[in-house]
Amino acid sequence: MSCASVRRRFSSFRDRDLPGAQARTVEVHLAACPACASRWRQYTAALDGLGSAPRLHSPDGIAQRVLARLEVETRGPGLALLYRPAWAARPLILPSLVTALLVFAGVIAGALALDRPEPLPEVATASLPPWEASAAPWGTEGNPRFPVSGVGVPRARPGLALPPEVLAALGDDTLFVETVVARDGSVSAVNLLQGDLERARGVLEALRQARFEPTLLNGRPVAVSVYRLISALEVRAHVT
Amino acid sequence: MSSRELALTADGAVRPAAERGLVEQCRRGNAEAFARLVALHEAMVFNLACRLLGHPEEARDAAQEVFLQVYRVLGRFEGRSTLRTWIYRIVVNHCRNRRRFWMRRQRAQALPLQELTPADEGRLSRAASPTPEELLARREEARRVQDALHRVSFAHRAVLVLREVEGLSCAEIALALDVAEGTVKSRLARARDALRAQLQAREAAR
Repeated sequence: MSCASVRRRFSSFRDRDLPGAQARTVEVHLAACPACASRWRQYTAALDGLGSAPRLHSPDGIAQRVLARLEVETRGPGLALLYRPAWAARPLILPSLVTALLVFAGVIAGALALDRPEPLPEVATASLPPWEASAAPWGTEGNPRFPVSGVGVPRARPGLALPPEVLAALGDDTLFVETVVARDGSVSAVNLLQGDLERARGVLEALRQARFEPTLLNGRPVAVSVYRLISALEVRAHVT
Repeated sequence: MSSRELALTADGAVRPAAERGLVEQCRRGNAEAFARLVALHEAMVFNLACRLLGHPEEARDAAQEVFLQVYRVLGRFEGRSTLRTWIYRIVVNHCRNRRRFWMRRQRAQALPLQELTPADEGRLSRAASPTPEELLARREEARRVQDALHRVSFAHRAVLVLREVEGLSCAEIALALDVAEGTVKSRLARARDALRAQLQAREAAR
């Protein structure tokens, strides 16, 4: 066993925790190695010195001072007050907790009520062909109808005029735009199918803000997709 | 059983049944029982705090705080260890917190080992051998060891004092420090070597 190994075992050796064979090896090494023997003497001397140091006796009156402190803290008829149940020590804690719980429940209920979306009108889906059964129901925003065979073109509410400056920004460009008019008359999507996007931004934004009269099919509102060509070119009749 | 008539074991410790009775009386708010409990443990608490903090005045304040805390949390004592071991834990934690408080306020340097007070000197004289030379040597040795003890880390100091001064087993130290027994053994080995190195360094510097 090397010197380092022996020194690493000093603590266990002192506590007689080493197995018999290891303890004998350490003893043999200490007998043969003056350096480790000297280190071991220092080691035991330090710990023996600590263990044999005189005990420091406590000053008198610790108990009296502690009891006096407890009496002052409790300000009551004895130490038993320290062991009052929590609701007796703090009588307002229960009403406070009840109020806090009510406020918390109110806040949660309000948040849930605000978060609930309004139900969309139902759409007849019984006539959907099987291959469309997995798609969004026909006539909803995800699968709008087209203004043919019984579905009218959505009528814009007053105020849908594209502002002149927006049209002027188009220059000589012509836009081909799809507008999906939702069941409530709002515009759920505007898709630029052809045209310069930078020039078209104003037009697209104006179309998004537009409002239409809801389109009905068999008395129920449906979403409708409308295609438009938009241009700023002024068309005048040829003057002869 | 009266709180003044506690059954003691051969080594002076309180028998478990008597200890349970004492704790129960304290929980009921019996001031006399609590005074008895303090009297049983105050020497240990003060001595341990003094070794850990290195300052008799601080140790006296710490001892008071420890017993106040003991009284407040005595209801949580479950009896999984002896009351003495449980109090050891409170003392060590309290002294550690007190030391951290000092460290935060840049008072680490104000934690020197206090020289032995005149009262300590008197007690040392009574406990020591009668010859002046041996008395002088004992005083010098006590100062030297305490000085070295305060140059090792708090964790090492705690485990050293609990083992070498208080004579706790590694299992008891593990309970007192709330660490595994293996941790105690490895920490104790490092602490012992650190103390030896400190003493050796002081010796070489002289």
